[in-house]
Amino acid sequence: MQVGLSTQNAPSVWVVAPHYLVGTVSFILASVLMVIHYEDLLNYHLTPTLIAITHLMILGWVSIVIFGALYQLIPVVMEVKIYSEKLAYATLGVMVTGLIFLITGFLKFEFKASFEVITGASFVIAGVVMFAFNTLKSAAASQKKSISRLYIIASGLYLLLNVSLGLFMVLNMSYNWLATAHTEFLKAHLVVGLIGWFLMLIIGVAARLLPMFLIVHKLKEVYLKWGFYLLNSGILLSFTLVWIPKYPKELFAAALILILAGLILFLLFSYDVFSKRMRKKLDSGMKPTAIALIMFALSLIAFAAVYAGNDFFGLPAGRLEIVAGILMIYGFFTGIILGQTYKTLPFIIWLFHYQKLVGRQKTPLPGELFNEKFVSVHTWTFVISVVLFVAGLLFSIQIVVLSATATMLLTSMIYGYNSSKMIFHKKQTIK
Amino acid sequence: MIQKDFSPEEAKVLEVLKQVPDPEVEVNIVDLGLIYLVDKNDDAKTITIDMTLSTPGCPVGDSIIQHVQTILEITYPDYEVNVNLVWEPQWTPELISEEGRAQLNR
Repeated sequence: MQVGLSTQNAPSVWVVAPHYLVGTVSFILASVLMVIHYEDLLNYHLTPTLIAITHLMILGWVSIVIFGALYQLIPVVMEVKIYSEKLAYATLGVMVTGLIFLITGFLKFEFKASFEVITGASFVIAGVVMFAFNTLKSAAASQKKSISRLYIIASGLYLLLNVSLGLFMVLNMSYNWLATAHTEFLKAHLVVGLIGWFLMLIIGVAARLLPMFLIVHKLKEVYLKWGFYLLNSGILLSFTLVWIPKYPKELFAAALILILAGLILFLLFSYDVFSKRMRKKLDSGMKPTAIALIMFALSLIAFAAVYAGNDFFGLPAGRLEIVAGILMIYGFFTGIILGQTYKTLPFIIWLFHYQKLVGRQKTPLPGELFNEKFVSVHTWTFVISVVLFVAGLLFSIQIVVLSATATMLLTSMIYGYNSSKMIFHKKQTIK
Repeated sequence: MIQKDFSPEEAKVLEVLKQVPDPEVEVNIVDLGLIYLVDKNDDAKTITIDMTLSTPGCPVGDSIIQHVQTILEITYPDYEVNVNLVWEPQWTPELISEEGRAQLNR
C-alpha cells in the first residue's frame, strides 16, 4: 500500500452514482415543470409552482449532486475517507422521501403549513443534518489543514442553519410567532442558502480542484483567506439583522457589500488560476465551468442592480430579482454542475470498471465514457437558454421565455443522456 | 532526488512507461515528469521506480501506480519490479517536458 494516496480513500461508486441519477431526474422534472408553467415566471412574484420548481432545482438537482460529488471529493480535498458510506445511502433515501413530500406539497401550496410541506421539510432537515454530520466528521478526521477544508466546514454549518430557518419560516406563516415580514426571513434564507451553503462549498472545492485540473502552482491564497473572513462576516450580519425589529437598512447594505467583496476575491482567485494555467486548452468539463464563472460575475452585477432598484433602471418591480435568481441558479449552479460532472463522475465509474485492468489490457480513458460532442451541444443550449431567460424576463416577452424553458429542457435531456451513459456503463474491452 | 541521466537500458524502461497515461490529463507520466528514478539492475534482476503524483489528492493515483507495476512486470517477466511513491521533491508543472506541454494543449 502506498502512503498518502487518495484512491484508497475513494468511496464506492454505489454511493456517488445514485446521487447523479436522482439529480439528473430532478433537473429534467424541474425543466418539464418550467415549460408547462413558464407563464408563472412572467408574473414576477412567487407562486406555488415556482416555489416547487425552485426547491426541486436547489434541493433535488443542485444539492443532491453536490452531496454525491462531495462524497467523492472529500478524499481528494481533505485526504481522508468519508466518515460513513451507510449514512450517505440513508441520507439520500431520506432526502428523496422529503423531496417527494415537499414538491407535491408546494405544488398545491396555499402559503400556510400543510401536512406534505411540514413532513417534506422535516425529512429534508433530517437528511441535511445527516449529510452535515457525515461531512463534518470526515473533516474532523482530516490531518490536512487547508483553506478548502475551512470553507467546506463553514458551508456544512450554514446548510444546517438554513434548513432550520426554512422550517421556521413555514411554521411562522401558520403560527405567527414573530411579526417580522416573511420577506425579511426570505432575505436571510437566500443569503445563508445561496452564499453560506452553496458558494462557500463551491469556493472550498474549487480552491483545490481548479488548480489541479488546470495544472497551476503558486497561487495567491490570500484572496481565499480574506474572502473567507469577508463572506462569514457578511452572512452572519445579514442573518442576525432579521431578528432585530426595525434594524437600520444601511446595516443590511453593509452585509451585502462584505459578501460582494468576498465573492469578488473568489473571482480574482479564479482569474489568477485561469491566467496562470499550464493547460491552456479547456476540456469539455472546464468549458462549462469557465462559462458558469462568467455567469456568476453577471449574477453579482444583477444582484447589485437589484439593490439599486428596478425603478432606477425604469423597470417594473420584480424584473431584476428574477433575472439575478435565474443567473445564479441556472447560470452559475447549473453551469458548474454541467461542467464538473465530467470531471468527477467518469473517474469513479472508470475506477470501478477498469482499475484492476490497467496495464493488462487496453481500456477506455475516463474521457471516453461519455459523448463529448453532446457536452458541446448542451453547453451551447445551456448558454442560449440563460440568455433567452434573461432577455425574455427583463423585457417580459412570452415567446422568448417559453423558448428559454424549452432550451433548458433540451439541455437537461442531453445532459441526462450523457450522465446515464456513464452511470449505466458496461465494461468494454478494446483490442 | 530526480534522476537526470539514464543508461540506454533505463531509457528503454522509460519508453515502456510512456505507454502509461495520466487518465485525467491524458498525457503520459514520463512527459508529465512524474518519474523521478529508474534503476534497472541486471544482476539482481530488479527494476526500481521512484515516482510521484501531481498532487497527493490525485483521484486516480492508485491506478497509475498499478499501471506502472503491471506494464513493467509484463514487459520484463524475469525481473522483480518495485514502484515507490515519493513526495519529495514536490512535483511542479516545471517538470513537464516540452513534448508533455504540447500534448496538454493538443
